[in-house]
Amino acid sequence: MIAASVALARRALRNALRRPQFLAPLVLFPTLFLAVNVGGLERTTSLQGFPQVDGFLDFQLAAAITQSLLLGGVSAGIAAALDIEGGFFDRLVASPTPRLAIVLGRVLAASVIAAIQVVYFLVLGLVFGASIQGGALGVLSVLAIGIVAGTGFGALGMMIALRTRNASTVQGIFPLVFVILFISSAFFPRELLSAPADVLAAYNPLSYIAEGMRQPIAFDNAIGPVLEGLAAAAGVTVVAIGLSVLALRGRLREA
Amino acid sequence: MSGDLRTIRALMGRGLNEILRVPGGAIPGVLAPTIFMLGLSAAFGKAAALPNFTADDFRTFIVPVGMLQGAGFTGAATGVNLARDIEQGWFDRLMLAPARRSVLLAGVVASACLRCLLPATFLLVVAFSLGVDWPGVGALALGALLIMGLAAAAACYATVLALRFRTQQAAPLMQVGTFVAILFTTAYVPRELLSDWLRAIADLNPVTHVLEGVRQGFIGDVTWAQTWPALVALAGLVGLFGALAVRGMRRQGR
Amino acid sequence: MQYPGPIAAIEVIGLERRFKGAVKAVAGIDLEVAAGEVYGFLGPNGAGKTTTVRMLVTLLRPTGGQALVAGFDVATQPADVRRRIGVALQEAALDPLMTGSELIELQATLHGIAPRTVRARGAELIERVGLSQAAGRRVGTYSGGMRRRLDLAMALIHEPEVLFLDEPTTGLDPTSRLTLWEEVRRLRDEGTTVFLTTQYLEEADQLADRLGIIAAGRIVATGTPAALKAEVGRPHLDLVLAPGTDLRRAHEVVTRFGDHRPVADGCHLSIEIARGAGDIAPILRALDDADVAVAELELRQPTLDDVFLAKTGEHLEGSGNPHSEAAAELV
Repeated sequence: MIAASVALARRALRNALRRPQFLAPLVLFPTLFLAVNVGGLERTTSLQGFPQVDGFLDFQLAAAITQSLLLGGVSAGIAAALDIEGGFFDRLVASPTPRLAIVLGRVLAASVIAAIQVVYFLVLGLVFGASIQGGALGVLSVLAIGIVAGTGFGALGMMIALRTRNASTVQGIFPLVFVILFISSAFFPRELLSAPADVLAAYNPLSYIAEGMRQPIAFDNAIGPVLEGLAAAAGVTVVAIGLSVLALRGRLREA
Repeated sequence: MSGDLRTIRALMGRGLNEILRVPGGAIPGVLAPTIFMLGLSAAFGKAAALPNFTADDFRTFIVPVGMLQGAGFTGAATGVNLARDIEQGWFDRLMLAPARRSVLLAGVVASACLRCLLPATFLLVVAFSLGVDWPGVGALALGALLIMGLAAAAACYATVLALRFRTQQAAPLMQVGTFVAILFTTAYVPRELLSDWLRAIADLNPVTHVLEGVRQGFIGDVTWAQTWPALVALAGLVGLFGALAVRGMRRQGR
Repeated sequence: MQYPGPIAAIEVIGLERRFKGAVKAVAGIDLEVAAGEVYGFLGPNGAGKTTTVRMLVTLLRPTGGQALVAGFDVATQPADVRRRIGVALQEAALDPLMTGSELIELQATLHGIAPRTVRARGAELIERVGLSQAAGRRVGTYSGGMRRRLDLAMALIHEPEVLFLDEPTTGLDPTSRLTLWEEVRRLRDEGTTVFLTTQYLEEADQLADRLGIIAAGRIVATGTPAALKAEVGRPHLDLVLAPGTDLRRAHEVVTRFGDHRPVADGCHLSIEIARGAGDIAPILRALDDADVAVAELELRQPTLDDVFLAKTGEHLEGSGNPHSEAAAELV
């Protein structure tokens, strides 16, 4: 089963890398949004209650990574839906490929792309004057949380694709990505959020994922937030893979 | 009614037809600016507490940005739809019409002008029900006029790209262009509070004037001093991208 | 009393189209289509048919030569040309969200005609192409044949002088094909000039008053179907020999009666005969005398595929002609 998963993951990756026009928006939009946020809201670090940071870019970097990873999930979902629309999926199901491998292949590809996304934003941050307070260990923490979260978002995308079987519907959930992200503490300190985000953020795993990556970038290697971030990311991943497998079973039963 | 006007009206009708017959397809575009407005004010609402912030409430300040975004999305969508029409061959039918190319372009662009009022209306209804101050009928009318102009400029820009690349895969390019043009302005905070590099860009970006023109009624009174730069900026944008789009239409088949 | 001279509906001199960094898709063609005739433009896929049509209907600028359609230059007077032509392109691009009658009205408007002035004509055209029942339905629900027929009705709404049909029946089922053929014949009877491209021999044979055969961007033959067929040869007799027959001996016998034609395999013989059916009996008698057993025989008139073969050295693929398909398989 591992061999099948890896083979499917390689195919998914190859397809993604061969169509850079689909991959580029994953980092392009969060990068532009990051630039606007930093350029427009730099002064907010002086607000009462804003934690002590070197700059707003340091603070925002984790938000951009989280946003990019979510878009990666949408794009994995679109790719899966295109597979379903194009008939590749049916061919897989008709073959002796293990069911779990069909999900895992797509999800593993999302992990690899997630690693690329994290590295891209860390390098971008360093180039434009951010610092990574946690050093090499901090980078590893960010990578760990980012990869696990990206895997989970990929599985979520896969689940939605299996339920809707339609690429443009998956594309339509794009604005939803922003809704979920805005009601988390990804962009702004939890204490400074306005209602109802201030309350909802505490229950939003994205808050913990973003804060877990922010801690080593903007502050220090305090273990608490990092573990919380990892736990939230792992939770999303396990639940999402479970839901994907259920969705796949459901689809097979109908067929 | 002259033939040109009839042609423009018929093409507008076709553009609107799409919304009426596939309402599901239009929903994300209609909702997006509202979601963005709500999200931004939930996340960054406390920024209004900064010294020298020119509005009491961040939402009031950000609503005009949402109106512009609706126009930008609509314009980009016009380009994406045109690219689809090129891919599917419908555009050939358009080009086979004896009408002047500028008339055909006007028909395509005019539907964007009307469509952009839909996301703006939805946004305003939500905003007012959440307590954003009523800016007055005059300010709203001016706002509507300005975003229709911006939608026209964005539609022309996206049309240039659609004619150049002839595929829907150019969609992100169309969207990124309008996204950048609208947000690299005084979108989030007043000019004085922008970081230096963004202030430099915003000063050069003509869309800043359009935004300030729409925003003036929400955060104060409508004045001629804030209105004419918006009109001039729009005239320039529509003139430039309109000319490029007409040129693109004329050069089809070369 | 003075009669106006015959006016050519389409006049093409040295027309060329070169795409960026590629060979010439159309490498200098000349053709003339008289008003009121159906001109068939026959050639295989990729021969340059569509490129030529797109130039003639002003969608593509020629890179050389000149083309006049309805008396106007496609390069310098495109709007005048567009007013006088009707076009049904290969894809039959129709907005799936609109109904048949809405599309007819839009088409009229695009041609500068107030829809209300053509409402009666629109209804008549829809009736004529057999879509009255479906006119109020969205085009998305139409079959391929219905779309082509609607496309044809749209192309006719502004009463064009010249009608261009680019592969109007490609991909259609046989019944839909026949319906379209009937419609083209009716248009000819009404005096419309029709420029029709096709890759189907039978279609060209059935519909065209005159033909141009295009291969690799050049016109290799023009004329009426009958003249073209007469030009390549006389009727010929195809023989299939019984298994185990001495092929060489059979050759010797039939050569006395006419010229050999290329044969496809070891048990086929094909000879040209001068007098048609009257030659068959002597040939059979001679073969019988020589102990050559014949399993099957067929007297064949020359086809357009024979014309194509003679002019280009190749069969026209996908022509729907069993002879050429069998030959293509064996190549």
